[in-house]
Amino acid sequence: MVNKALVIGGGVAGLQASLDMADKGIEVYVVEKEPSIGGRMAQLDKTFPTNDCSICILAPKMADCFGHHNINVMTYSEVTDVTGSAGDFTVTVLKKARYVDAEKCTGCGECMEKCPVKKIPNKFEMGLGTRRAIYLPFLQAVPRVATIDAENCLYLTKGKCGNCAKVCQREAILYDQKDEIVEINVSAIIIATGYDVWDPTPASEYGYGRYPNVYTAMEYERLICAAGPTQGHIERRSDGKRPQKIAFIQCVGSRNVRMGRPYCCSVCCMHSTKEAILAREHHDDIESFIFYKALRTFGKGFNEYMERAKSDYGVVYINSDATVQENPENQNPIVVYDLDGHIEKKEVDIVVLATSLIPRPETRILAEKIGISVDEFGFLESADKLLAPLDTMVPGIFLAGYCHEPMDIPEAVAQASGAAARAAEVMEVR
Amino acid sequence: MNIGVYVCHCGTNIAGVIDVEKVTEYAATLDGVVVARNYKYMCSDPGKELIRNDIKEKNLDRVVVAACSPTMHEKTYRDVMEEMGGNPFLFEMANIREQDSWVHTDKDEATEKAYDLVRMAVAKVRKNEPLERIEIPVTQRALVIGGGVAGMEASLDLAEQGYEVILVEKEQSIGGHMSQLTKTFPTLDCPMCILAPKMALHEHKNITIYSFSEIEEVSGYVGNFEVSIRKKAKSVIEDLCNGCGLCQEKCPTKVLSVYDGNLGMRKAIYTLFPQAVPRIPVLDRENCLMFTKGKCGVCKKVCPTDAIDYEQQDEIVTEKVGAIIVATGYAEYDPSEIAEYGYGRYKNVLTGLQFERLTNASGPTLGALKRPSDGATPKRFAFIQCVGSRDVNTHEYCSKVCCMYTVKNARLLRDEHPESEVYVFYTDVRSAGKGYEEFYKISQEKGVKFVRGRASEIVGLPDDNLLVRTEDTFTGNVIEAEVDMVILACALLPTEDSAKLRDILKISEGTDGFFLEAHPKLRPVDTLTDGVYIAGCAQGPRDIADTVVHAKGAASGASVLISHTKMSLDPISAYSDESVCRGCGECKLVCQFGAIEIEPLDGRLIANVNEVLCKGCGACVGACCNGAMTIKHFKDEQINSMIEAAMEVA
Repeated sequence: MVNKALVIGGGVAGLQASLDMADKGIEVYVVEKEPSIGGRMAQLDKTFPTNDCSICILAPKMADCFGHHNINVMTYSEVTDVTGSAGDFTVTVLKKARYVDAEKCTGCGECMEKCPVKKIPNKFEMGLGTRRAIYLPFLQAVPRVATIDAENCLYLTKGKCGNCAKVCQREAILYDQKDEIVEINVSAIIIATGYDVWDPTPASEYGYGRYPNVYTAMEYERLICAAGPTQGHIERRSDGKRPQKIAFIQCVGSRNVRMGRPYCCSVCCMHSTKEAILAREHHDDIESFIFYKALRTFGKGFNEYMERAKSDYGVVYINSDATVQENPENQNPIVVYDLDGHIEKKEVDIVVLATSLIPRPETRILAEKIGISVDEFGFLESADKLLAPLDTMVPGIFLAGYCHEPMDIPEAVAQASGAAARAAEVMEVR
Repeated sequence: MNIGVYVCHCGTNIAGVIDVEKVTEYAATLDGVVVARNYKYMCSDPGKELIRNDIKEKNLDRVVVAACSPTMHEKTYRDVMEEMGGNPFLFEMANIREQDSWVHTDKDEATEKAYDLVRMAVAKVRKNEPLERIEIPVTQRALVIGGGVAGMEASLDLAEQGYEVILVEKEQSIGGHMSQLTKTFPTLDCPMCILAPKMALHEHKNITIYSFSEIEEVSGYVGNFEVSIRKKAKSVIEDLCNGCGLCQEKCPTKVLSVYDGNLGMRKAIYTLFPQAVPRIPVLDRENCLMFTKGKCGVCKKVCPTDAIDYEQQDEIVTEKVGAIIVATGYAEYDPSEIAEYGYGRYKNVLTGLQFERLTNASGPTLGALKRPSDGATPKRFAFIQCVGSRDVNTHEYCSKVCCMYTVKNARLLRDEHPESEVYVFYTDVRSAGKGYEEFYKISQEKGVKFVRGRASEIVGLPDDNLLVRTEDTFTGNVIEAEVDMVILACALLPTEDSAKLRDILKISEGTDGFFLEAHPKLRPVDTLTDGVYIAGCAQGPRDIADTVVHAKGAASGASVLISHTKMSLDPISAYSDESVCRGCGECKLVCQFGAIEIEPLDGRLIANVNEVLCKGCGACVGACCNGAMTIKHFKDEQINSMIEAAMEVA
């Protein structure tokens, strides 16, 4: 049996699982589909309930993982198939061409400065910022290797330009690089593919997509982040003005049978509370209103954090469903809600929707291929919620983090360590 | 002395604000500097290669990198030094990113500041001394404190990885609170049925259980703990007892059973429950007639294996382990201090755990639903949430599990007694978790009446019925509900002995009284004491599913540590100058890590620092009024050289 494991997903759960195994002497492959590891946590501005800067506490872990002698990080790669059984899995990995020699590139950024294709929405910035056709997704990306986006690169689409190759002092640009299929042999697998943000456009009552000043919470995270597209200045999409009144609407698409998702995402009460606190920390004249169904601030120090939001930051919690209209004159969103049985309206400057966090559709495809059961919402199913919460029905394949059920960062970290322990049991490492 | 200085652009992060060329030129003029260079990314392979080449070709013995925070990359460059045969502590970082380019916009001033920071780092590195990492052996065994579901899970994960585990449980059986429950949510499994296979861990070749035992003392440090365990006298010889139960049957003394929430009786010699592990009874000396009156001896007479030993004494055993997992669980809040709920005054007001025992098939009524006051079958129930939680007068925190266990109990009542009327008075229903919201919805569909409002008062009525008063905060109406039984969802508290354990293990607790993790986000199972981990409710309220996962996490942390036969530690620690120290002990008082002992030397007292326990925080250096205490790598002369350099003008 080889002393090797595969971790699918390089977010905080995948990183933790990899580090735990690697520190025991297990050789770990981390397969991440984006050009950088870091996952969702890298996108968040601050973390509750301590208001730590998210990337600042994550970056050392990313560096540890990438630099670990037992960890082989494969970014911009996808697991396409798994065959075999516990102790002897064969994993097929598609290493997508990034058209850059990862060994040579230093991430200096010359190429990005000279790339003429400028206005590509940056997925990492939730589309609020732009990037070039050759790019690093974010400042602290690991590895610091540029990636060419083949769909937008002039050279790859039209055969002309070549600026990046011209300026690269290390001759790292490889326009003829091809996708590569590699096979790796491992004894255990941990799936930690995290979540996607649900697009709230279908829930038309919130006006997302129709009213420019309605944001998803993940967009808002980028908007207030000092490293984000506006350097942390909260600017409205419609006119760039700084908002004074912010409404947060909870359970957008979650706890909602009509939208097909009765489940609670478990983190939104806290992230909205945090986002309201951060708004006030940016400008002390900002007023925040949180429209909620039930306040679920249940983790360690969470209830205290929510109470502090009320007492120290003036956050107003309103127990009501809410929908959004727009004032056509100034494009201010108007929140319509219920107060003691009466319909009330509140005009605000921006609305932030705590949208449902959903398992990734590509995780379902992989899971079905390798025989792991998936529930009706796309969450991977464990063998037993209480007895074997991190095992799947396939021996040797384990679960960690949000791909398996809604949870926050510390729970994902604990799960990841737990899954690492289970994987180590397969290999009987001593 | 050959010093190399390397200035990083960090892309445009630094170079966008600071003139890195100028800083490099400036650095080259400093005393002892033989080479200064700048590069896009010093941390990249080509960047590190620059340093490697210079170390080789220019015989560098000391290096300064002016770049980001040392928390990011100090290790990266120390590794480069080590790789090239140098000493990793002859290295300094000047943080010109977080402390300069990121926080300043004026380019000239930021560049000036970079001069200062580089000059200070060069001054410091000149004074640095080579230090050797401390290597210590690791005992490849673990101690788990607490035999509830968290402790069992952690023990099993460690044992399955091949490590020997010592499991210490203060009660006479493992099983913890989970063994007391009726059904689990959201699966409605029978807890004892799913727990029993795990309790078979006592047969695992790698696990040793000490039941009815407590941690007396822990000495040593990470990788090398020595634990004294008090095996309390059971008055039963474990090797002889076969758990037949005859003694329990014949014992004439009946005592209220705490395990059954004082709703039933046990004998003076007893096991906690039929499936107890180990199956060995304990004689309760406070109630046994032999001890209180000096007569009886029935148990000894009937015991077929002659296992009863009235003279048995507590025994202290010591075990050596490399890692410790604290899984001591929780205690249920005693609601009698909330006078308006009348707990203790009204017999039909129960706590959540009492209700679990009342409805449990192996409980005091064998699962028959009977009110404590008169044995009548109750038909109307009120569940009151947040009793002792989310309340500034008691505990501000949310106990996390009560919403779901109440929903479960309320639903079971409607399932099993469709004629019953069930109210839940709640603040918020917190059913977050896989399948939990759905479970809550089903309970609503089954007719459980949820009323949003904190109950203000419970009034006892003459027929032992109870009147619950509350405001429905949705409608503003005052509601009065007459019920036959009230169940209080009581807060989960840290266990009574947690303060003692905290002191023994030198770990800390949060304002809520639960043990504190090393970092709330990224180190949820570690404590700040190396080698000590926490699992389950000992860290904070959580349900069984989360506890199992948390325990597995703690087992992983511990197994990473004990998977090695030795480990190396940072040599940056304090030491005391024997010739100056007068043994006043001020340093010992401020040391949070228990690293300092005051010991005799040649007829006087001096402070002695255990460099393994010392974290290099420097608190003792500040506290020492004689200047005897010094910390390696941050000696006075080293710090002073930086201050002097800071005061110079570039």
